[in-house]
Amino acid sequence: MVVRSYEDELKYLEKINDHCWRIKKGFQPNMNVEGVFYVNSRLERLMLEELKNSCRPGAIGGFLPGVKQIANVAALPGIVGRSIGLPDIHSGYGFAIGNMAAFDIDDPLSVVSPGGVGFDINCGVRLLRTNLFEKDVQPVKEQLAQSLFDHIPVGVGSKGIIPMNARDLEEALEMGMDWSLREGYVWAEDKEHCEEYGRMLNADPAKVSMRAKKRGLPQLGTLGAGNHYAEIQVVDEIFDKWSASKMGIEEKGQVVVMIHSGSRGFGHQVATDALVQMEKAMKRDKIETNDRQLACARINSVEGQDYLKAMAAAANFAWVNRSSMTFLTRQAFAKMFNTTPDDLDMHVIYDVSHNIAKVENHIVDGKERKLLVHRKGSTRAFPPHHPLIPVDYQLTGQPVLVGGTMGTCSYVLTGTERGMQETFGSTCHGAGRALSRAKSRRNLDYKEVLDKLEQIGIAIRIASPKLVMEEAPEAYKDVTDVVDTCHAAGISKKCIKLRPIAVIKG
Amino acid sequence: MLKKKLEALGHPTPSDVAMSNRKEFASTVLWLEDQKIRLYTIEDRESLRNLDNITIWEEGYKKYCIDLNMPKLGTQLEQLTWMLGHAIRLEFLDDPAQYESINAHQENTSKGNNVQNSQQKIPTILHGMINVQDKEFITGVRSLATKLNIPYHPNHLLQLEAAARIVHERMAAAVKSRKAISGTPFPFDKGNDIVSGNDPTLDYPMRILRLLQIQSLRQLQTSINETIVSVQNLTANPKTDTKLGKVGR
Repeated sequence: MVVRSYEDELKYLEKINDHCWRIKKGFQPNMNVEGVFYVNSRLERLMLEELKNSCRPGAIGGFLPGVKQIANVAALPGIVGRSIGLPDIHSGYGFAIGNMAAFDIDDPLSVVSPGGVGFDINCGVRLLRTNLFEKDVQPVKEQLAQSLFDHIPVGVGSKGIIPMNARDLEEALEMGMDWSLREGYVWAEDKEHCEEYGRMLNADPAKVSMRAKKRGLPQLGTLGAGNHYAEIQVVDEIFDKWSASKMGIEEKGQVVVMIHSGSRGFGHQVATDALVQMEKAMKRDKIETNDRQLACARINSVEGQDYLKAMAAAANFAWVNRSSMTFLTRQAFAKMFNTTPDDLDMHVIYDVSHNIAKVENHIVDGKERKLLVHRKGSTRAFPPHHPLIPVDYQLTGQPVLVGGTMGTCSYVLTGTERGMQETFGSTCHGAGRALSRAKSRRNLDYKEVLDKLEQIGIAIRIASPKLVMEEAPEAYKDVTDVVDTCHAAGISKKCIKLRPIAVIKG
Repeated sequence: MLKKKLEALGHPTPSDVAMSNRKEFASTVLWLEDQKIRLYTIEDRESLRNLDNITIWEEGYKKYCIDLNMPKLGTQLEQLTWMLGHAIRLEFLDDPAQYESINAHQENTSKGNNVQNSQQKIPTILHGMINVQDKEFITGVRSLATKLNIPYHPNHLLQLEAAARIVHERMAAAVKSRKAISGTPFPFDKGNDIVSGNDPTLDYPMRILRLLQIQSLRQLQTSINETIVSVQNLTANPKTDTKLGKVGR
């Protein structure tokens, strides 16, 4: 690896405009394309500080800074366009979280990398609307939070309350949300408002290890730990009245439910299994990368195909998981308000995936090409009239759900034409970590964090309070900065701002 | 569209034809007759020339419409559109060979579209039992169209299709019992979508075409949802068992 001073490193970075930086070739060895990242002035400072710290003599070990990771991804075989860092970028395994990259499927050398998807395969956000208003929910929010907490098991080692046997799991892995539909856990309209219609067709449960299935079986219908949560939120601000009305959001104060969860231990095991296979494939096919964590395999190799099929099964697992929690949420609300989910108008507004690799067609250099698009900590954001978005959003563009940190706020954005051209239709996914988990545990006190939430009137139910510091707002970048940068850069458009009134988490 | 047609005919000021003004309309009609249609001899056009005395002009125009065999059309915009179409047709028939290379059939095949036009579609629906070119049939379609307020189109089969749609969507028994659509309407020109920026005159029609496409997609999606629901009636049996639940740490 090249060792350079911070000043020398800066020569490879160029500010294109207020919200966008270019990473020139040569920043890391063998870059096939340039890199780019989107930041505003505050996020820019965080980004460059991280780079500066890594340039200090003796700074070895730990994760590489985000900029370096973007550049390493740009050196992977078959990458097209640019390696793109979104404003919420922070270091991750191989790929930074908040990095997206597309690979040309027709190029035999192109690769797929589990590090470009992440360990929590198809981690994503689902938003349910209701016809309730803040005044209906405020008086009962404690009971409602408790009821959600009772229905949706949370935390490490939690087990779901939907009975499933091994055969059910096999079917669910293959069918995704269609399984939930068949069993009657969700509504037909839910499928329509879900990315990929809630089912990856290339899923093959036979490519998933026994171990992954054993881990996954009891966990279906559980929220998990870490940054996952279910929140009762109210509409705080509407930026785009027409698009919001298309989503069934008419006024400030309307109550919605956000579920942020993924494929639990199942996806983690699928990714771990694949990394082992890929290291072998790299040796055999002589694939070289700048970082050992960027283990990958050619898309058309056996290992590459096996991973994509297993990843699709994990994606299906995550959709069934979020669907099961949708069912449980509807039950909890219906019981509390003594009515039916139908009468509460509890429709799914949308369901996005922010850790996934998908085959998509994009225009590159004026030509339509078939690409394998890796989005890790990055949300798809397709523009109006794109054939892959639901008919209800053809005029507005795809809804993008951006979950904030515990106790701050969340956003709904819409996809834009500009995003389609600049970032392969991708945008940010959340706040993005600023402090590592270990660092936030050291620096923050869990009682203070909980007190603060109570002070601003947020009901909270939590499985492991002693880990809550990891998810404190102080440990994250400001989600508003992240979203404003995406809006100003034009890669997505602000639509609705949401503020939490009750949180349940692991 | 009006502007496009005027341009095609070589009108000197195609963008300035104000349709609100009867006098403007009259002079455009005169220009069309003088330059393109030439139905009358120069002497016979005298009454149409009375642009300053609009009552005499109206008399002449009434006769002119009958002589032109113009169908009964409501607004002056419709009348002008029809006349422009007529003029373009005449222009084309003067020298069809000139336009041989531009050919709708070829345009379609070169773009890979296989458009089934209404001429083929309707006879198939009627199982060939009715001669759709029969005069009586045509008159029937035309009067049906007038009753339903459907704008005139030279191809009566297209009008028949439009009539079928209106009956199906507005007058069928199932529609009458349907709930009125509630909620705020979405102004379609205020969406986040960009329509091709090169030609503002294409903006409006393109938006309308897109809306029609969205409408038919919506119908498809609704029927998919209905199918899923009817299958769910047979298969759905959601269960929960709180004894299985376990909160983690």
